[in-house]
Amino acid sequence: MSGTVPSAKSGRSGHGLLTWLLGLLVLFGAWQAAYVGELLDPMLLPSVPEVLATAAELIRQPAFLGHAGVTLLEVAAAFAIAVPTGIILGIAIAESPYWSAVLKPVVFLVFSIPKTIFLPMFILAFGINFSQKVGFGVFSTIFIVLISAFSALESVKSEHVRVARAYGATLRQIAFRVYLPSMAPILLEAVRLAMIFNLTGILLAEMYGSRAGLGQLVSNWGENFMLRELLAGILIISAGAILFNEAVRWFETRCEHWRA
Amino acid sequence: MRRLLGLALLILWEVLPRAGFIPSLFLPPLTETLRALVAGGGEYLRHLLLSLYAIGLSMLAACGIGIGAGLLIGSIAPVRRVVQPLASGLYAVPLVILYPLFTAWFGIGPQSKIVFASIYGLLPCFLGTVAGVQTIDRQYVTVARSMKASRWQMVSRVLLPAAIPTVLSAFRVGGALVIVGIVVAEMLTSTEGIGYLITRYRTLLESPRVSAGILVVVALVVAFDSLVRLLERRTRHWRLSTRSA
Repeated sequence: MSGTVPSAKSGRSGHGLLTWLLGLLVLFGAWQAAYVGELLDPMLLPSVPEVLATAAELIRQPAFLGHAGVTLLEVAAAFAIAVPTGIILGIAIAESPYWSAVLKPVVFLVFSIPKTIFLPMFILAFGINFSQKVGFGVFSTIFIVLISAFSALESVKSEHVRVARAYGATLRQIAFRVYLPSMAPILLEAVRLAMIFNLTGILLAEMYGSRAGLGQLVSNWGENFMLRELLAGILIISAGAILFNEAVRWFETRCEHWRA
Repeated sequence: MRRLLGLALLILWEVLPRAGFIPSLFLPPLTETLRALVAGGGEYLRHLLLSLYAIGLSMLAACGIGIGAGLLIGSIAPVRRVVQPLASGLYAVPLVILYPLFTAWFGIGPQSKIVFASIYGLLPCFLGTVAGVQTIDRQYVTVARSMKASRWQMVSRVLLPAAIPTVLSAFRVGGALVIVGIVVAEMLTSTEGIGYLITRYRTLLESPRVSAGILVVVALVVAFDSLVRLLERRTRHWRLSTRSA
């Protein structure tokens, strides 16, 4: 995940917006061309204006908003549990040489195994309900947070801590003036990646077995060949995920100078 | 140390469900899982082969296109500056929601899961390769350019060999995602494959057979991961060509 930083920084946000507009233009252009050229049956690929109109309709529908609310609540609950727990646990493990020797290999091993295949076990254990979704979201998220916490702690330079101590800094000052600024960029990246893993996990859990939520809605639309609603739903969910991701990234670049 | 840890985990897997600390509906003891695996061996093997076929095709598509496009786009700076932020932004999209679209388009046969898994593994392959191309020592490129290397020569003789270490780790991540993509697609809607088997036994509440299926998939992922790691170790001396060395 490293090596993404050395890109152009100046005027990034204006330039970035233009890039996204260009990408959107290419996507909609190719889509509309496929529609006009009848690459697929119009029932399977409705036109861009139709789908955009459906999307605008959907976000005003109370039923759709209800499903979105269920998903958002699950995502928020899993996020609120996984991120603080992961960071605190990660710091606790990394600070102790004994536990890092024992537990770090386990965490890295589990991290390399994709979590999605364990979803059936969660259904067997919890049934199909809110806590199963949140539990699976936490399970798919926490390992990336743990690993980020490990590397965030490693990024704190011991010289900085020593200098701060030599100047008689209090524990509180060391925590907020030395540790936090150095760890913040990596932890922000952890928040970003955690949200990606979390959202994917919860949507999948909803698609796999659920009575409510965006994932259930999307898979229902697919089964009933309601392509207009399906494509509109995909666009809305993607837009939400991309917006959150870019917002955190924007904040990351703001915090970059702390690392110096 | 690592072996001891693995052994401890296996023992816990057997002891905890037996002692009742974990409900055996959730996690059946190791021996029961293995017994289910042996008893249904033929069936698991048949569905595993069907999954492996789909995995092979998707891996070819995902890693071929991802690494190829990554090398090409990574080596053309103006294009890279436009495409890279877009691609890493798209990485935030939970791609699972595309699967209903593919089943509507291609039916629930192998095509839809192959397309889905290819797209699932494509982005990490692409992003990893683009990042890898950027770590190549600029001097190699300058030398090749001063010798009037064509773009094809630049890619095949300079960029590809120098980027191999990073390309391999992109392949490791992307390939694992392809495996999971196929299994997840089979779990959602499908009529064959190891993921289908897992879901069928889950609806029948036959936990030992569910965890046997999961065990097979985990073994597959771990085998793939260690195979690529072995390749990485074998090509370690090429790492000298990257700037980090």
